[in-house]
Amino acid sequence: MSLRTFILGLSASFGIAWLAIIVVPFIKMRDLAPVQLTEAADGTTGIFFPKRSGRVADGAQIYAENGCYLCHTQVVRPTYAGNDLYRADWGGLKADPDRGDTRRETNAYDFFGEKFAQIGVSRMGPDLSNLGRRVESIYAVGKDPSQWLYAHLYNPRQEPQRWKSTCPSFRFLFTERKITGNSSDDALPFGRHGNKELIPDSDAKALVSYLLSLKKDQPVPASMNFGPPKKKG
Amino acid sequence: MSSAIPTNPEQDALLRAGIDRSLRHPVMFFMTSGAAWLAVSILLGIVSSAKVHSPEFMAGCSWLTYGRVFPAHINAFIYGWGFQVAFAVIIWMTARLSRKECTASGLILTAGHIWNLGVSLGLVGIFAGFSTGMPWMEFPSFVWPVLLVSYFAIVIWSFIQFRVRPEGHVYISQWYILGAMVWFPWIFITANTLLHCLPGHPVMAAGINAWYKSALIFLFFTPVALGTAYYLAPKVTGRPVFSYSLAKLGFWSLAIIAPWAGMQKLAGAPIPYFLPYLGAAATVLLFIPMIAAAINLLRTMLASPEILSGSPSLRFTVAGIGGLIILAFSAVFLNLPDSTLPLTQFSMSSYGFEILALYGFFSFVMFGAVYFIVPRVTRREWLSRRLIKMHFLLSVYGVIVVALVALYGGLEQGKSQEDWQQPWQASATAYPYAVATTIAWCFILFSNVFFFLHLTLMWLRLGRRSSHPTLLAASHGHAVSPHGEDGDIDNAGPGYVSAH
Repeated sequence: MSLRTFILGLSASFGIAWLAIIVVPFIKMRDLAPVQLTEAADGTTGIFFPKRSGRVADGAQIYAENGCYLCHTQVVRPTYAGNDLYRADWGGLKADPDRGDTRRETNAYDFFGEKFAQIGVSRMGPDLSNLGRRVESIYAVGKDPSQWLYAHLYNPRQEPQRWKSTCPSFRFLFTERKITGNSSDDALPFGRHGNKELIPDSDAKALVSYLLSLKKDQPVPASMNFGPPKKKG
Repeated sequence: MSSAIPTNPEQDALLRAGIDRSLRHPVMFFMTSGAAWLAVSILLGIVSSAKVHSPEFMAGCSWLTYGRVFPAHINAFIYGWGFQVAFAVIIWMTARLSRKECTASGLILTAGHIWNLGVSLGLVGIFAGFSTGMPWMEFPSFVWPVLLVSYFAIVIWSFIQFRVRPEGHVYISQWYILGAMVWFPWIFITANTLLHCLPGHPVMAAGINAWYKSALIFLFFTPVALGTAYYLAPKVTGRPVFSYSLAKLGFWSLAIIAPWAGMQKLAGAPIPYFLPYLGAAATVLLFIPMIAAAINLLRTMLASPEILSGSPSLRFTVAGIGGLIILAFSAVFLNLPDSTLPLTQFSMSSYGFEILALYGFFSFVMFGAVYFIVPRVTRREWLSRRLIKMHFLLSVYGVIVVALVALYGGLEQGKSQEDWQQPWQASATAYPYAVATTIAWCFILFSNVFFFLHLTLMWLRLGRRSSHPTLLAASHGHAVSPHGEDGDIDNAGPGYVSAH
């Protein structure tokens, strides 16, 4: 076999797969068309656009730099691929006080504002698709959700029921400083010693803002909704 | 052209010695710096694994947080050790098989230093918090062009040597090596341009990243290791390859199946449904090329049990092919949609699979190659049989523990993750596995520190000056010296000033 035939064989065997699973899907996904809502099925018109608020782009960068994706995923798989949707607080809330069962699978519009979807490599910790929702409705009821997250990032093992957590501490995202005048609103409640307080750095603020933006439980258009009819709350 | 092939054995030996001498420094540089990176990577592996069971271990320092140490560990392994030892083997083997001396060793050495600079900058970048957050591509985005350019500067000479070689049969090792040389830049450029340079959909970007990881294993590390094993097995045993048509089947089935694999890690994620399922199917089908090559190589090597017990190269290669067989079965059992894939997708099985491929298979074959090549390019024999034995045993024990614990511990972990009626905390069962992994990495580190020292001494040409190779078992019933037979001192080597 000549070198030319050999290289042709290699190019064909690799190139077909390369076109079929990389290049064409990349181009197709890049121009993903928005999903139209219809009056009949969705009760409203326009396009499906799950809004996110917060420092999504900066926060995603802090998330990436500190390797959160190594232990946390951001995908709620449909039931054919795993049992994520059955958990009471992963795909949304099983019993949202206002909206009833809001659980749904992750869709392609959920990663708006991010360059790389942190699907994640393993689940040493829980899925974070709806972490913002969970913190607000379950972990920090009646408290400031960002305060709860600051404290959790500073020491993930602080709450007695989380003593077994293997999440690293992100103490390095906080600074101890002298209180001059009023103390900071963001200061950690347990970080106060004398006239010193612990406050989150800009990176910690971006990360917490990003984590609170993780609320992927908006109702999806009827054309994308594969779930069974749900009980209204 | 056939006149260029020396016909008498003496000329042939001279040609081989000339090729070895022309490549001494590049080959030794890649192997030694690779071994140093390997030791660094394993050290980082120990630290990151210790953090899984003791999260307060070295906590509080941003440089040493788990999310930076772990990527540093795996990237140092791949780009520091894996690629560099692959370069050493590629340049040496293509030169030998093309029967051409290398005329660009200075350039290759320079490019090798640039590669090392790229890897070092990339690792500092990860530690300092400039990681990109894409698994196996965590180096800050300015690093990949540096690596790509130095890659071309290193392997282009091998490609040229292949082009200008004397006409004749193309051996299966050359197929694998050429394949790897073509596939890697294609994969690397695709993944890096699509992820760093062109705006795309974030979920598709994650899919391309998963494909990149799989393609790097199956279209670079696997062909390099198989090409090397196909070189070593007949060379050391003195027997022809068991079945040449099986070898071809193995090569082309790898070439056709492997490019489709990888995206099964995104099963259930919002990308077109066919991508993860094709990925799973292709990974399962990779059983065929892996088993074809494994059977072929084992039939060749095990036919000479007496050589197997003595030759370090052969012993490491056989162990690597053993790793390949486990890898082939794991590829099937860990990737079945609807049964094991949901369990292994997000558990430590993926890490086990990667370490099995990179250490249990690829690195073992590379160790075999190092034990074969170094005495030839330095014209010195390995110093100590005990060091080689220790390297072998501790590595085998270590990698069996790391890979099997992660593979099958990962299955258990996956089962409890999927048990949605239990609270999530109940599925955090990584503790015992992480302890075992830490201990096993310590064994591997111990073995590789000795490997690195042994290799460095050989590069300094402090090896034994003997014409008897260092064998693992004494050829006679009674033991001679612990370092093997003394033999005749080799005074004929190039570079030796004759006393006459």
